[in-house]
Formats: sequence, C-alpha cells, structure tokens
Amino acid sequence: MAEPLSPLQPVWQPGRHGNLSGGAGVVLSETRPASIVQVAAWPGSERAVIAAIRAATGLALPDGAGGGVAAATKAAFGVAPGRFVVVDQAEGLEGELRSRIDAATGSVTGLSHGRTAIRVDGPKAEWVLSKLFAVDFGLTALPVGSGVATQHHDVLAQIQRTGAMRFDLYVFRSLSRSFWKTLCHAAEDVGYEVI
Amino acid sequence: MSPRRTADSGRIDRSRQIRFSFDGANYSGHPGDTLASALLASGVSLFGRSFKYHRPRGVMTAGIDEPNALVTVLKGDGREPNIPATMLEIYDGLTVVSQNRYPSLAFDVGAVNGLAGKLFSAGFYYKTFMGPVFGPLKGTRFWMFCEWFIRRAAGLGRAGYAADTARYERVNAFCDVLVVGAGPAGLMAARAAAEQGRRVILADLDTRLGGSANWSDETIDGMAATDWVASAIADLSGRDNVRLLPRTTVWGYYDNNTLAALERVTDHKAKPETGEPRHRSWTIRAGSVVLATGALERPLVFPGNDRPGVMLAAAAERYAVEFGVLAGERAVLFTNNDRAYRSAAALARAGARIATIVDVRDTVSAAARRLASECGAELLAGRAVVATDGRRQLSGIAVRAFDARSGTVSGDARNLAADCLLVSGGWSPALHLASQAGARPRWDSGLQAFLPPEPTQNWIAAGAVAGAYSTAEVLRQGLETGRMAAGSADEDDGGLPLAADDELDPNPAPVFEIRADGKAFVDHQHDVTADDVRLAYREGFVSVEHLKRYTTLGMATDQGKTSNVPGMAIMAAAVGKPIEEVGTTRFRPPFAPVSLGSLAAERHGHLKPERLTPMHDWHVANGATMFTAGLWFRPQIYGLPGETIEQAYVREAKAVRDGVGIVDVSTLGKIAVQGPDAAEFLDRVYTNMFSTLAVGKARYGLMLREDGFAYDDGTTWRLGETEFLMTTTTVNAGKVMQNLEYCLDVVWPDLKVHLTSVTDEWAGAALSGPKARQVLEACVTGTAVDDATLPFMGIVRGEIDGVPVTICRLSFSGELAYEVYCGAGHGTHVWETLMEAGELFGIVAYGLEALGTLRIEKGHVTGAEIDGRTTARDLHLDWMLSKKKPFIGSAMMDRDGMTGPGRLELVGVVSLDGRPLNGGAHIVESSNPAAPRDSIGHVTSVCYSPALRKYISLALVEDGKARLGTRAFVSDPVRKRFGPVELVSHHFFDPEGKRLHG
Repeated sequence: MAEPLSPLQPVWQPGRHGNLSGGAGVVLSETRPASIVQVAAWPGSERAVIAAIRAATGLALPDGAGGGVAAATKAAFGVAPGRFVVVDQAEGLEGELRSRIDAATGSVTGLSHGRTAIRVDGPKAEWVLSKLFAVDFGLTALPVGSGVATQHHDVLAQIQRTGAMRFDLYVFRSLSRSFWKTLCHAAEDVGYEVI
Repeated sequence: MSPRRTADSGRIDRSRQIRFSFDGANYSGHPGDTLASALLASGVSLFGRSFKYHRPRGVMTAGIDEPNALVTVLKGDGREPNIPATMLEIYDGLTVVSQNRYPSLAFDVGAVNGLAGKLFSAGFYYKTFMGPVFGPLKGTRFWMFCEWFIRRAAGLGRAGYAADTARYERVNAFCDVLVVGAGPAGLMAARAAAEQGRRVILADLDTRLGGSANWSDETIDGMAATDWVASAIADLSGRDNVRLLPRTTVWGYYDNNTLAALERVTDHKAKPETGEPRHRSWTIRAGSVVLATGALERPLVFPGNDRPGVMLAAAAERYAVEFGVLAGERAVLFTNNDRAYRSAAALARAGARIATIVDVRDTVSAAARRLASECGAELLAGRAVVATDGRRQLSGIAVRAFDARSGTVSGDARNLAADCLLVSGGWSPALHLASQAGARPRWDSGLQAFLPPEPTQNWIAAGAVAGAYSTAEVLRQGLETGRMAAGSADEDDGGLPLAADDELDPNPAPVFEIRADGKAFVDHQHDVTADDVRLAYREGFVSVEHLKRYTTLGMATDQGKTSNVPGMAIMAAAVGKPIEEVGTTRFRPPFAPVSLGSLAAERHGHLKPERLTPMHDWHVANGATMFTAGLWFRPQIYGLPGETIEQAYVREAKAVRDGVGIVDVSTLGKIAVQGPDAAEFLDRVYTNMFSTLAVGKARYGLMLREDGFAYDDGTTWRLGETEFLMTTTTVNAGKVMQNLEYCLDVVWPDLKVHLTSVTDEWAGAALSGPKARQVLEACVTGTAVDDATLPFMGIVRGEIDGVPVTICRLSFSGELAYEVYCGAGHGTHVWETLMEAGELFGIVAYGLEALGTLRIEKGHVTGAEIDGRTTARDLHLDWMLSKKKPFIGSAMMDRDGMTGPGRLELVGVVSLDGRPLNGGAHIVESSNPAAPRDSIGHVTSVCYSPALRKYISLALVEDGKARLGTRAFVSDPVRKRFGPVELVSHHFFDPEGKRLHG
C-alpha cells in the first residue's frame, strides 16, 4: 500500500532556521504515528475504558481529567471528560481497541489520517507554544504525560506534554500546513530546527 | 560636550555616541538617552505645537505622562505619530519629525489660532456646527465647508498610508503574582513573592527597572539606591520562577485577573534581530496582582504655564540625575509642597543654578527650608507665579503675593529671569489599573489626591500609588504586599532594607490654580484652559463625565495624566463643593496607547488559516483556479489556455453528462455519530427517519432549525448498527457539529451518543457520469460495483491500488455517480489512480462551477436556497417531513406564516433573451424596465446549462409553484440587466431521474 502523504510536505524544510544566535530553541518534527484513535466512554464506563486502553497498549492512564501517559512509541491522554486520545507509532491500534470496547462501554474512532502529529521539543518549547495557545504550559500546571484540548483561533489542537521540554500536538490535517507555518513563524525568534 | 550635559552624573553610557535627526537636523546622544533627554542636552527646548492654538510647547515630564512633546517617528516608508519624546529611546539612524505645524516648528502659521482664543473655547464645535442652518456661518452645512480646513489646522500627528511591515506577536502568560511597576515597592514585592516560591512576573514600562530609585539619589540598605536596585534585579534575574519585563506597559485590567500588557521589544533598535517582533502583546493571567505603579507629579495651573521651559520638578530631577541633563541654566522652582524641594536640591547637586523657590504656602517646614538653603536659592513663601515671558523659550516669570486660603493674588509683580521653571502641584497616584478593577477612587484630603479604590479583583496596591510617601514606607509596603500576594503569613521584618524616614511634609497645600490674566492650561495636550472648565460649568456641564466630553479634558493620548485632578479641582471650586463630592472620571483601558498591530499579532497580514483538502497540491499542479469557501480552498475550474470561466465549466459539466468527471468532495462536513442511541438521535435531528436505514445504506437527510426553517442537508451512511457517518454541507459543518453537541449536552443528555468530527479523516472524490461505473470497475478490487452489489444509496468497501476505500453510490449531479472515500493520507494516490483508470473513458476533473451547474440543472438546493428564510415546503422537500415522529423544528414548522400563500417557493428560471442571469436579481411582473414595480422574488443560483443550452437559474418566487409556465422579468438595476424569463420547474434536466440509475 502507498505511504500516506504528509500534508506538511511542501512546507517541511529540514534544517535550522530563524535566529540561531543561541542555538535552536526548539526542534520541530512530524511524528507521523500510524495510529491515532479517539476513545470515549459513556458516563460510568470510564474505568472500563481506561482498563481497555491499558490492555491494548500497556499504558496505565491516571483516573482524572487531562491525565495522560507517554511512552517511547505510544501515548494516551484525556482531552475531555471520559474522552481520550490514544496514539501508537504502529498500525492496528483502532482494531485492538474496537475488539476491547463494545458499544455498551464506549466508542472508538479512528483519526490516524485526520490529525497531524507535530512535536515541539526544546528549551523554548513553552515559550513558542505560549504565543499560540492560552494554556499554562508550566510543568506544575501541565505535568509530563498530561494533555489539554485547546485551539489557536480556528485551529483546534490537542496537546500532550511528553517530556519536560517536549510537547506533541494533534491538529486537524486540513489546517496543519497553515498551522505549521504559523508555528515556524512563532519559533523564529528563538531559532528552530526541523527534522 | 553639550552645555546642558552635566559633567558626570546620569546612567547614560557616555563612552558611545548615537546619532539621530529631528526635523531634518542632526543631533547626537548616548545609549540610555531618550529623545527628550538627548534634545534637551543639545539645547532644544521647542518640541511641538499645541493641538488647537499651535502654541509652542516643550517637554513637561520625563515619562509616559508627557502631554506636549509628541513626535512622529519615520521608519522606512512608515510613520508613527504621537510618540512621547520622553519614552522614545534613541538609536543610530532614528529619524523624527515634529507635528501639527506648517511650514516649520519654529514658524507655524497655525499660531494665528491663538488670536481667536475665545472663539475656540469649550463647546466650539457644538455651538458652531450643529443644529439648523441660520445664515452662512452656522449649522452642519457650514461644518462641511470648514471641515477640510479644520482637519488641517488642528490635531496631533499625521498617520501614514504605507502598510505596516513590522512584525507583532502575542504571548499568553500565567503567574501566581504579577507585579506592575518595578520601582522600590515593586522590586520589593516581586522579591518577597519570589522567595515564597511563587511564579512571579515583574513588568515596568521603563527601559531601566528601578523606578524612582534611578534618580532619587537616596540610600537603601546602606548603599546607593541604584546599587540596591542592581542587586535586587540580579537576585530576581537569577531565579527560575521570575520573569522580568522591562519596556512593558500593563495597560488593561480585565475580568478574572487577566491583564493586558504591551512590550516594546525593538522600538529602540534600528533593525530587529531575526524573528524579533516590534511589539509583543501579553495576556497575563495572574493569581494575584501587586500594583506598584507609583505616582505622577501634577503641574500647577497659572497663566503661561505651557511655555517651553516650564517643566515638572521631578522630571527635571530625573533628567539631571538619570540622564545627566540640566533642563536650564537658571531655574526657578514653583511649588505647593515640600517634596519639590528635594528635586531642587538634586538639581543643584547636579550643577544647576536654582535661583529662586516660589512657594504658595506662607509657612514652609524646616526640612524644606534646609533644602532651599542647600540649593542656595532665595525662598519666596506665600507667593505665586502669575505670568511667564519668552517666545519659544522661557525667559522670565512674574511673581506676586498669594493667599493660599482664598486663592487670590495681590501686590505688585516681581519679575525674575529664568530659562527653566520647575513646577510641582503635588502627586497623583497612578491608580488607572486599580480603577479599572475597583470601585470609585477615594479622595485623601491630606495628600490632596485620589487613592486606589476598594478592589473588585485580587490586587493589592503598594508604594506611592497607595499613598506611601517615604522610601522606608514604600519598601515596607512592597515587602508586605509581596508576601500577601504570595499567600504568606510571614510578618518577619528581616528582609526589609533600611531606608531613611522622610522629614518632609507629605501633604501639599490645596492649591491647584493661580487665577490671573492669561491663558492658564489644565490639559496641555488638548489645549483646555481653566476658563474652559469654568465655561463648561456655567453652561451646565457640571458632572465630571460631561465636563470631560464638553471640553475634551483628559482625552487623547495622555488620557489626562497631568490634567485630571487639577481639572476636577477647578470644577469643584466653580461648583463650590469639595473635590470628593465632584468625584473623578473612572479609568478604562488602555493606560497608554496600544499599537493595533500588537492586537492583531500573528494574524497581521494573515487573517485566517488556509484549509486544504488532501488533493490540494494536485489541483494546483493541474491548473485549477482555486477559490475560498469559508476557510477551505477549492478548485473553481481547471481552465485550459485561453478559456473563460464559463467556457471551462461548460466544458467540464458537459464532459460529466457525456462521459465521466471527478470532483474533490473532501470538504463536506463529516461527523461520526456513534453509540447505542445513534439511530434514535438521528431520528430526532433529521426530518426523516434514519432508524429504519439498513446497515450498508445511505439516506439523504434534512435538518430544520428549532424555529422550523430549513437548516442543512446531506447524506448519512449507516456503517454499523450503532455507527453512522453523517455528511453536512461544507459551509455548515462547524455549525451543525456545535448544534448537535448542544443537543446531546443540554437537550438529551440521556442519549448515549458520541460525535466526532472526521471531516479530515477522509478524502472524498465524487465520480459522476454515465461511465463512472466503468472507471470504478477498472480500478476497484475486493468488491463488485455492479448495480446489484452497489445499488443507489448502497455502500461497499474495497480497495484501490491496495488502499482501503469506502464507496457510496449517490449523486448530486443527477448522473450515475459514486463517492469514493479513503484515508486522507491516501487521497492523492487514490485520486490519481482514479484519473488513470478514467483516462480511457475521457475523465475530466471538474471544479465548483461545474458542480454548481450540474446541481442547478437537477434543481438540487444548497446554501443559496437554504438561506435561513426558507422552509422545507418552500424548497419542495415536504416529502422529507416525517409524520411518524417528532424532530427538531417539527413543532414550529407549520405555524402561521410558514405555510400557505405568499411564501417564496423554489422555481426554475430560463433566460428568454439569451443573456446571463445574475444571483440576487429580482423577479418582477412588469415588462417596463423603468417601472418594474414590486419584486415577486429573487434569483439564487445561476449558470449556463450545457444540457439545455440556455442561461438558467434557480429562484425563490412568491407562490412560485402556481406560476410555473408563466413569464416574468428579471430586474437587476445595479448591474443594468432587465429581460424576459420563463418560470419553470426547478427540475430542469432529467426530471424522472433515469440517468441517476444508469
């Protein structure tokens, strides 16, 4: 089967850009996970859904709004009450989850093509993102693993902190090229590297 | 060295020279200079012309409160007017011009206005240009005659026409404690809060943090105040939990402790670094706020108080100590308070000659007398300045005896030579932010000042803004408020630096104006005099709010920072009431002017994001003309060389009817509707039934609004027992999603249904035309696509070149047609494979124009017809209104006026004169173009129909169904189009739908 085409391709320019007097403040990349799945629980079924996610991925989600967990190739985080985004670099996650979550427990929606995963990594990651989102990216307010659903004007974004200085953003594919340009623009003052 | 530059004082870098120009003349200064300090050092005293009378004006202040010295900065092709010279940092190549003068600053013909002072008094415009016309010199018509001249004769700076090419950006910040103002109180508060481990932001509008400590020459904690500032800043800078924001004006205090600030990032640079914005707009969400905004010295009001050379005492002190500039060579101090004596002493230490101190008070404290004697100045107590001399520069003053209790002058005038008059009328706390987030300010009769009100949000005031007078008290308040803001109960004084208590009397005499002959200015920026205030009172404008609007006192860029309190005091005296009973205007954002670019920030020049389909690049590469539909970019036509738009879409539409065409339908809204109650939910939101829909089938659905009008339409596919894929129109996708979410959250929270936008998950291509099936047969594997396997409204799953696809047989064109969906990442690959497979059948890609043509020929409606005013019956969709169930809108769709005669109904229109029709044109019955009489409807969608070989349109016409087969006329006077038409069925082409079924 043909490789899925990245919507960022024409504007993806590997290398270092912007003001590099202090080095690259952030590294920008597209992580291209093969599986991006939304899982939603009916009220009262949240624990069952969390257990199913754990069974399918091995990720133990904390029980609480916005909680999440990130591993090397997999991640999961809450984006709304009882609603989670689960990500795997490998294919097949949607089927795995569907086999474990029936209609009486919740719903599973494949979004692998519909969302573009962008990683912002580096000491200036909080600074760059704070230009675009009205979110407190402080480590205490948004600990590693946790996530938030927000938007930059018309661009909805689900953001997970996957490291002390690293954030993974999931944005609508159709808007991702425009958003990528905005993100690069925002990172110019601290310098950025595209990999 | 300039004669006005002191020998060695000041915080400027004397080792370096900066060159700049003002009104075409070249000057130099040093790093650390403002334009005002550098020009003063060069002996310049004339900075601008006044708003109304074109009087020569100099520098009155040294900060954001400057009303007079406004200049225009030229940078590239741009010009930015009304910048206070006191806030403009010089840099090499800075080019500045003065404002509101012609032909030059020194010789300004507009100064003739000063001769007509009485004419231009308060209410001039109301009295002269409003109301009915009486003779040639009254009323609105007269205004229209005068406007051109007045606009050029009065005003501030002139904006440029060149587009602003600067970069701007926005930043969101969150902190536990925001400290506004980095003077001694603010630094102390920030340090105290930071020591508690809180996240602290410290913002100050000046370049150099430290506030008054930079020019007070005081001792704090056993060291020079500036050294204490340096150590405090070093301490704060070294903390991870502190962010320092110099050059940042906090200008607005909004709900939920959200504050707006403007950082002037590169205004002081000739050229920004890569990526650096000119301004940065901060939105700061703070747990608590310490307002340490200080106080602003206010002037006294007396005749000639606007002459260049008249300057606030503390401003002159600041120029001397911080910038190493003496404002004059022979200075006189005119004051109503002790604090100004300290300014005089500081000036004397810096090398200025303080010849005389004129004090309105009979009795002056011993501490102040000591300072006067330190200066070597003659002290004239119980006296007041009643006049000033000089043309474009002060040359002397006149002093008379003054009774501070009665406010009267007496005796003979004594003339004194002076090129600089230092004035101090007391201090006004800078309570603007407190006022924005508080109740009414409180009047303190001792300090003769308004103090911060009771907070309505989580802030505390510290330092001079709270009425603190001595540095010791300021520091103590800073420590306490910093801890309070951090939530600490610590009361230990261990961290409090030592500072000497002040022996000076903090309270000024309650004197605001010296009444004598001549223009005495209250609001220097708008040329409002004390007589204007009294005139307003006499004409009934007693409320301070009315006073402001009638006289313009306190308006314009400085927002009355130096004029509000004197203005209120003069009004209070006129009314005969204490100031506290007259009150003050409430402050609102912004505290200081804010660049519009910073508010637009990253959207400057880029209003909306571009929303692109998965096949966007293919369209562009293959010659599509793209146009926008909401945020989306969609192909309009794929024009061939030399083709007009009409020729292109006619060719494309004809190709579809004759063979096969392909169009990108990825933009259709797609919503996954999942859950055990999904079918029930759809029954409630659609007018027709969906619970009876079989798995693997699709159905066309119509939604109404709650008020019964048609809302949106589309097909919904049943992919599983509990899983549907709803499609909406491109334009309404977001609205429909929001409305459905609202229904689930609020109206039917008991339903187990999840909604997810999957618009971007799927790429969609519609294959239309009699050869569409053959194209699919040539490339689809894993499923058959024959009529039995894939009947009308049927759904199958298969593969195209290994990519999983879902195919639904449905038609918007009236032809045999299929929509092929695949994962968006595979969209281009599947599209190209379909094109390749279709090559044998003459496939063409077609754009929105052809799409519209095909649907108009079939009489399908879109947003042009579902316009929020039409009902299902108007659109002949009443067959979709289920009688077996209620649905959104069913209770309201049959109310009075929604049915019966007189409704605009969908019809087809055929042009009988062979000319195009225009959307929005009226349909009329009269054949006389000069008197078309009443409109009976309007054209909604138009095209040239290749199938009918005529210009046709859809239209909404009154009782349209009954008019079918009749003639009418299209009337479009705006586009000069009138002609005969025939009203026909909206089903122009293949009304039986034979082609649909292949």
